[in-house]
Amino acid sequence: MFGFEAIIAHDGLGISVIGISIVFVSLILLSFAVSRIHKLIELWDKKYTSYQRVKKTQQKDQKTPSVSDLAIPQDVQRASRQFKLLIEWIGEPFPLPKLLDLSGKCGLSRPHSTVNELLKCELIIPDENGYYVWNKQLEEKRSST
Amino acid sequence: MENLLIEFLSNTGFALADYRNIIMILVGITIIYLGVAKQYEPLLLVPIGFGMLIGNIPVIKDFGLGIYESGSFLNYVYYGVTHDIYPPLIFLGIGALTDFSTMLARPVLMLLGAAAQIGIFTTFLGALAIGFPPNEAASIGIIGGADGPTAIFLTAMLAPRLIGPIAVAAYSYMALVPVIQPPIMRLLTTRKERLIRMEEPREVSKKEKIIFPIVGFLLCCFLAPAALPLLGMLFFGNLLKECVVVERLAKTARTSLIDIVTILLGVTVGASTQADVFLTRQSIGIFALGAFSFAIATAAGVIFAKIMNLFLRKKINPLIGAAGVSAVPNSARVVQMVGQKEDPTNFLLMHAMAPNISGVIGSAIAAAILWSFMSL
Repeated sequence: MFGFEAIIAHDGLGISVIGISIVFVSLILLSFAVSRIHKLIELWDKKYTSYQRVKKTQQKDQKTPSVSDLAIPQDVQRASRQFKLLIEWIGEPFPLPKLLDLSGKCGLSRPHSTVNELLKCELIIPDENGYYVWNKQLEEKRSST
Repeated sequence: MENLLIEFLSNTGFALADYRNIIMILVGITIIYLGVAKQYEPLLLVPIGFGMLIGNIPVIKDFGLGIYESGSFLNYVYYGVTHDIYPPLIFLGIGALTDFSTMLARPVLMLLGAAAQIGIFTTFLGALAIGFPPNEAASIGIIGGADGPTAIFLTAMLAPRLIGPIAVAAYSYMALVPVIQPPIMRLLTTRKERLIRMEEPREVSKKEKIIFPIVGFLLCCFLAPAALPLLGMLFFGNLLKECVVVERLAKTARTSLIDIVTILLGVTVGASTQADVFLTRQSIGIFALGAFSFAIATAAGVIFAKIMNLFLRKKINPLIGAAGVSAVPNSARVVQMVGQKEDPTNFLLMHAMAPNISGVIGSAIAAAILWSFMSL
């Protein structure tokens, strides 16, 4: 058999039309999937970033004790006012030894122990450069409650 | 003693050779010449050409030397061709070599890779019309995919006796891309079209490159499961390359492994072209249809690119449609060459790589479809 007769007899037209259609459909689907991949990655990254931010905030919230949780002894509370004045005089950020030295010179009682308590209740916090600062936010929170 | 000498002389190649062996040896030398002097696909043509010399040394029958004699060295190595072992391994190497970025940056160009596969199905019809049975017609049609391993893969499944002529035709036309394609490209495009500049593709993230082989593999192989050996290896190779953590495996796949398989494949395909099985009227028909298939595939890609331009806001240079045939990266280089003849500052290579790579995927899917239909 030759010519069109052979094509018809072996269902050549059907095979060709379906074949090329499947090739097109496959590559159209693949191209569609490929065009979505980077958008999905963007979306995932955005979601992941915001999830990380929320998680970080939650961790921070958990880490920072609420003002009511802060059991600051009465004597430390009193001393904190004196230490705050000293810190204002030294200027922020300040080195811890300087605060201890000055508090000793000013005659404040048990300066090491008091500074330790202030560090524990985070009224004095490190600035991550080797110096310390007075935690104004915590103080404000405490005074508002 | 005289008898011994006469017997020995009558068993030498000089005594056993006929004119067909000489013709095939000359063809082999021409192919080696094209590979060495003209540098047309030397990595393939040199092993194939030398394989033709090996296969066409006349030897005594049943001496265990010929490629078709079981137990011979060549027959063992040829097992990898007839049982579809080499083509998927070559695809593994291609996957580990290929950067899919340009395709991922502009996925619409993948349609050009699909359009070029029209050549396969048109030639399939042509081969049926001139009297080839359907399984052989399908194997001849796949030459238009311009993908040697895919052509061998399908032929080994459907028409093993045609592996020699089909593989040689496929690789020859792949090597002759710079000769066959430019006239068709120029014929089908205007100067204005050839001057179109395409915008820079966007940057593709590493995550995209890692996800693509997985998505691509799942999608293509769910649609055309028969493409599993080829596309599975292609996408696996690409995952090895992109995920970085298995660099040793990726390096082996894209260097040593692909080189070893190319040597074995090339030599055995060449050796399979023994004069008595190769020099037939059928082989001439296969070569003629192969050229037709290749030309149709090129034309279909270019015309489809022009059709796409009717709908696209950002126009594409229709020359890149010719790269839809999967001769990677030769046809992309030809696009660059033809484009730069019109405008030396227009760089089309990276754009042409997108249809070129999708052509590899498209031809593997087309082979899978033909295999499925012929096995039904």
